[in-house]
Amino acid sequence: MTTTNQVSPPPLEGESSISLPRIYVALTDSPLDILSIMDKVRSPEAGAIVTFAGTTRNNFASKPVTSLTYTSYRPLALQTLSSIASALLAKHSLKGIAIVHRLGTVPIGEESILIAVSSAHRKAAWLAGEEALEECKDKVEVWKREEFEDGGVWRANRDGAVGVQVEEGKQ
Amino acid sequence: MSTPKPAPGHFTILYFATATSFTGKNVESLPAPLSLRKLGDVLEERYKGIKEGVLGHSLVTINLAYVDIPEEGEDDVIIKEGDEVAIIPPVSSG
Repeated sequence: MTTTNQVSPPPLEGESSISLPRIYVALTDSPLDILSIMDKVRSPEAGAIVTFAGTTRNNFASKPVTSLTYTSYRPLALQTLSSIASALLAKHSLKGIAIVHRLGTVPIGEESILIAVSSAHRKAAWLAGEEALEECKDKVEVWKREEFEDGGVWRANRDGAVGVQVEEGKQ
Repeated sequence: MSTPKPAPGHFTILYFATATSFTGKNVESLPAPLSLRKLGDVLEERYKGIKEGVLGHSLVTINLAYVDIPEEGEDDVIIKEGDEVAIIPPVSSG
């Protein structure tokens, strides 16, 4: 396993978002804030807000992870986030849905994704919150690289297991 | 979108995750027009092993829309000058 000729990550691009009635999706290089995402879905018609925070773990299958970095195809990922949010809004009659994913290096233990959904009654919000995360993990064009002491791995959610260890500098 | 415009007679191709690691690049320009069916061969010529190592389990977009690589006998898709093509390996958001 070698990690020579590592490609430098793309420059930070700040925050990009799509804002529609009852929908907010964003990608950001900054730390995430649960209160501000709750405020995006707050509604006098809602009786429940369910939030989910995905945080970065310090190991993969017990192997210590030294750092995690997320990259994205921003315009496509925003488009995909928006279509996931629209579909769930309609399916569960939500009052609001917001999804924000952090990019760049995310220190261990910090939030990499936040989801907030509001609905008239709690059941719809619980269901939609879980579905939103599963849809994101399946479809959104964001990639996680985990660095270990002996090299890095581009994780693939669909594998559900140990990812492919990437050998750098094959050119 | 911050991707630079390709030179005349070229299209832009973006690489992500394993595709970036394999090619050593985030982006480059390739000559257009190009048959989508031949994209794999063009990349394989430049990056030996990329078909098996990356393309086999990746998707392709043209101008932010997913496209199927046409099979023999199916109508081909032509990548045009100025298009933005991307290699999309399996995602790992969350």
